[in-house]
Amino acid sequence: MKTVLRSQDLSCPSCIAKIEKALLSEEGVSEAKVFFNSGRIEVVHDSQKVDTKKLVEVVRSIGYEAKVSAF
Amino acid sequence: MYPNGVTFGIRFKDFFTKIFEPKFRKLLLMVSSGLLILLALVIGKLFHVLWLGDLFMILAALTAGSDIAIRAFRSLKNKHISIELLVTIAASGALIIGEYWEAAAVTFLFILGAYLESRTLNQTRKVLQGLLDLAPTTVLVLRNGESIEVNPMEVEKGETVIFKPGSKIAVDGIVINGYSTIDESAITGESLPVEKETGSQVFAGTINLDGMIKVEALRVGVDTTLAKIIHRVEEAQDEKAPTQRFIEKFAQWYTPFIIGLSIVAYLITTDIELALTLLVIGCPGALVISTPVSIVAGIGSAAKKGILIKGGEYLENAGKISAIAFDKTGTLTEGKPFVSDVVILNSAQREIHNFNIKLPTQNHEFEWNDDQLRVLKIAAVAESGSEHPLAKAVLQAAGIEVFEGIERFDTITSRGVRVIYEGREIVVGNNQFISDQKIVIPDEVNEHQLQLKSEGKTTILVSIQNYVIGLIAISDRPRKNAMDALKKLQEIGIKTIVMLTGDDHLTANSIAKTLGLSEVKSQLLPEDKLDIIRNLQNDGHIVAMVGDGINDAPALAAANLGIAMGVAGTDVAIETADIALMADDLMKIPEAIRVSKLTLRNIRQNVFIALLTVTALLVGVILGKIHMAGGMFIHEASVLLVILNGMRLLRIA
Repeated sequence: MKTVLRSQDLSCPSCIAKIEKALLSEEGVSEAKVFFNSGRIEVVHDSQKVDTKKLVEVVRSIGYEAKVSAF
Repeated sequence: MYPNGVTFGIRFKDFFTKIFEPKFRKLLLMVSSGLLILLALVIGKLFHVLWLGDLFMILAALTAGSDIAIRAFRSLKNKHISIELLVTIAASGALIIGEYWEAAAVTFLFILGAYLESRTLNQTRKVLQGLLDLAPTTVLVLRNGESIEVNPMEVEKGETVIFKPGSKIAVDGIVINGYSTIDESAITGESLPVEKETGSQVFAGTINLDGMIKVEALRVGVDTTLAKIIHRVEEAQDEKAPTQRFIEKFAQWYTPFIIGLSIVAYLITTDIELALTLLVIGCPGALVISTPVSIVAGIGSAAKKGILIKGGEYLENAGKISAIAFDKTGTLTEGKPFVSDVVILNSAQREIHNFNIKLPTQNHEFEWNDDQLRVLKIAAVAESGSEHPLAKAVLQAAGIEVFEGIERFDTITSRGVRVIYEGREIVVGNNQFISDQKIVIPDEVNEHQLQLKSEGKTTILVSIQNYVIGLIAISDRPRKNAMDALKKLQEIGIKTIVMLTGDDHLTANSIAKTLGLSEVKSQLLPEDKLDIIRNLQNDGHIVAMVGDGINDAPALAAANLGIAMGVAGTDVAIETADIALMADDLMKIPEAIRVSKLTLRNIRQNVFIALLTVTALLVGVILGKIHMAGGMFIHEASVLLVILNGMRLLRIA
């Protein structure tokens, strides 16, 4: 499934690669894309292995607050 | 017994969980390291207790540095060399060589900068948040005769939804009952409220002001125009402009280059401080953020005015436009053709009554006399069922929609039709079509046509049993602000403005004259419009094409910038146009170009600031004029300057 997270903490584009790599290193995440300009994080993941809550935790563990968004 | 203790306990627990929120932790670390630095300065400089001052400096560096180091380590685990890693190495190095002040200042400035940057950047992202907030969370829907409150996403297509005064409209739909005024500014950018009655279209995200209305839901959730706008704006903001792509490529090489330079510098000079300072300025911060910040602010600012720009690339194009082509109908004119004149030919005065054609009777009040109405109705028979705008105007004037029992023979779109009705042959069309049917056009037709066309009207001929009996003139009013908009476009430097139309020369020239336009291309077929765009481009122009986004899609696509007008509710146009104007307002075109130009200028300013800073820092460090703390300060200040400059775009009036 595809989940959209939104973060208000993205301040330097260097965090794009950081967040993407962190999410992709999680088992069950097949795609992770960070849109710096709009502050959106799109994740394609197997909800059986990683739920949306876990995704938020992963992003938080590297220092960014994010919320799940409807669209 | 111990009420204070209990509350303290709860507060402490809150505090403890809050520490794990990145935002709060960063703020806490920033404030405490700042205070420690202040304390260290006071103790060291004022009281000259140097060892205690140094101790506080070290504590400050550790406080601010711990968070940076943790993040650097976590990224390293993901095999990513982050900016945090560079800062961690630089600060650790400074601590080792005894430069405690430098270490504390670098780490403190780094987290202070990040904090201020994310706060200011979010201001630029706020426009979108504002749009997201427009979607209401609950809505009253009528089910089994009862109104129940549900989430707007759960409303089914075709259900009836009720909106009370003051509530936000939650779906796209048609008013089926009630009367109200609605504030549509969020969707169209028009500040004036719009009156709505049965049959009117309403959009999610608008605000119902004073009446209660029942609406049939046509589109809900992600299908609404509001959701489409949000999606479009976001995609646009994330779309990389050419400038941004270039800079990102540059930035990709910049950081490794600086790391390499730092190592080389150390090997040659063995000056560890120089090497560490180079690491501090290794983040291309201001450079990578220079373009995105302007684009997010510029596109957001335009969206607030009901102007959807597809992306940074189109923003850059819009700023360079040198020629504009307008597809006349629906842009320069209202696009609502109506019958303005009906002329009975002298030669037909007698004949017209000889044709005792049985016509359906209508009870409408008409402004036409009996003969005129008769000609209109004969034409309406032939045009019956047609979707062509001119045909629709005739049908409307005759008060008729569809006839039964018509035998159709020739139909050439936008030329004419030949039908047999009640045993009589009726031909309706332009002069060319009538001649092709071997029908003689009386001389007096020419006279009438000259007059009508010079008034900007389109004429069609009506003939029955091979006799031309009359002319019908159809007019499409120029939009009220068309002249102002064209004047404005010329003022902002667009000298070549061309009107494209399928109308004949005389009609087209007359309309162009009232609008004050000199260049007209008339009698065009749809594919001709494409060629005209190409020709303009071959002449070296950067061309914008304005249309309704539906009938003129190929020409819009061929132009450097395709602008579609009045697209609220038409998805195709929102998707295909490079710039989509939600409202039918021509003044939004010069406005869109103005916003684009301002944004483009803003990007250039930012790139200039960033490049200047990077160069100055590099030269300053190598010459030994800038040290760690100073380098970090200039670096963070330039990032903030670039963001603040970009934010100016949010205030475009």
